[in-house]
Amino acid sequence: MYIEEITLTHYRNYDQLSVSFDKKINVIIGENAQGKTNLMEAIYVLAFTKSHRTPRDKELIQWDAEYGKIEGRVFKRNQSFPLEVIFSNKGKKAKFNHIEQKRLSEYIGAMNVVMFAPEDLNLVKGSPSERRKFFDMEIGQTQPIYIYHLGQYQRILKERNALLKELQRQPQADPTMLRVYTDQLIDHASIILERRFLFLQKLRNWAQPIHEGISRGYEQLNIDYDASVDVSEDMDSEKIKIVLEEYFNKIESKEIERGTTLVGPHRDDLIFYVNDKNVQTFGSQGQQRTTALSLKLAEIELIYEEVGEYPILLLDDVLSELDDYRQSHLLNTIQGKVQTFVTTTSVDGIAHDTISQAEIFTIHNGYLVEER
Amino acid sequence: MYYPEPISKLVDSFTKLPGIGPKTAVRLAFFVLNMKEDDVLDFAKNLVNAKRELTHCSVCGHITDTDPCRICDDTERDSSLICVVQDPKDVIAMEKMKDFQGKYHVLHGAISPMDGIGPEDINVASLIERLKDEEVEELILATNPNVEGEATAMYISRLVKPSGIRISRIAHGLPVGGDLEYADEVTLSKALEGRRDL
Repeated sequence: MYIEEITLTHYRNYDQLSVSFDKKINVIIGENAQGKTNLMEAIYVLAFTKSHRTPRDKELIQWDAEYGKIEGRVFKRNQSFPLEVIFSNKGKKAKFNHIEQKRLSEYIGAMNVVMFAPEDLNLVKGSPSERRKFFDMEIGQTQPIYIYHLGQYQRILKERNALLKELQRQPQADPTMLRVYTDQLIDHASIILERRFLFLQKLRNWAQPIHEGISRGYEQLNIDYDASVDVSEDMDSEKIKIVLEEYFNKIESKEIERGTTLVGPHRDDLIFYVNDKNVQTFGSQGQQRTTALSLKLAEIELIYEEVGEYPILLLDDVLSELDDYRQSHLLNTIQGKVQTFVTTTSVDGIAHDTISQAEIFTIHNGYLVEER
Repeated sequence: MYYPEPISKLVDSFTKLPGIGPKTAVRLAFFVLNMKEDDVLDFAKNLVNAKRELTHCSVCGHITDTDPCRICDDTERDSSLICVVQDPKDVIAMEKMKDFQGKYHVLHGAISPMDGIGPEDINVASLIERLKDEEVEELILATNPNVEGEATAMYISRLVKPSGIRISRIAHGLPVGGDLEYADEVTLSKALEGRRDL
């Protein structure tokens, strides 16, 4: 799939912009603070109806404007269709083929996008919540039912924690209600874990050869699921349920004492190993970056596997941070099959055939000029 | 905006109603000024009577003007079957169906520790008493199919299970007369879970 054209109206620093893109590589050159990332963000928002940078939709509307709009035309499965996302004071609307989609879950997935931005290093370096978010977003993109279970899990978790706080103050109270919540929590947790394990196996299968390629065969990537309970990847939801039941039973009094839920998918993490060393703690900056890159490239293949077409790849300010070998490996991998957007302050450092064949745009203060 | 005191008092009263904001309250208050005096008196009387004459049934908790309520008092109804609901409005919805011949028990809410509502804050204790005194064979749990309603249903089922009374939960899934293609994934998967043999 690829995006044919995009039109921005009152979006961030763009008053009005209409631009057609190349099917393969588009390079956007500009100084700092001219609107490169805003353009990348707009493509991301067109796919997900929300930004990767801010949870507040209002920030996307141009200063002083009443509304902001992103329109795009996407080519997928041999046909092209329009997408539209509008933000205003009243909220946001998303239209697929001119028809408003009331449920965002019906809209998301129309266009698949993978973004690699400097913040993605946090995937390796950052807190466990970043990695859980990565997991949940990726699984959710292809399995709406996962989002439902996750939502229910979080609701029940909040109720359970509120109850545990109460029990902490009066430990003699009747624990029946707590056990009700424990049962419900386990029902959803076991499904969430099962789906995460299945996803992890696929992710690992794709990411390992990619990582080996980028590192010229010097580095072996491994990914482990760090569960707060003693479950393993080969278990299905029924087995996971039994383990969780036993565990929650055992720690009930401890949970009451602490006044909060101590284990579950909301406490889990992913651990990345390169040559058997934990990358988060022992990896170099470069190894961390390569790991994040391998994961993103694996994501592209995963989406291809699920959807049958390659997603659109956004590389925001990351190409220049990779060394020559990694750069060309990356560009070789995507060459010809993935529509790619690259932002950079200059193409000088990037020596590769792909760039010489690319469509080049320069950007200045919200104006985009096509160079060739 | 300055209003004469009687009007501002009336506006204030209207804003206490659900769904009424300050602007609508002003509109309603001025509308009342133009109503016939008899209508206004009737209106006021109805408000007071609704509050004074209606109580909660001492048996099932439904709103009623007689105690016990007409449903609990009806000897034609099957008292071995009790349907547990969250709200008096749910009883009215069930009654519209005209198909259910058992009796009701109204909880007046659902358990939610987050909102500070525990089992003791809803009408559960009297349900347990009822089950001891009456000859009940089946309890149908018809609380709402959301987190609170589901938790409440599970709580009641845990309390009642040891007594050996049959406990059932209303089904959730596809709406009658609906099209399969319009159902969302979650409803569909619930419907699939709750499928039955033909």
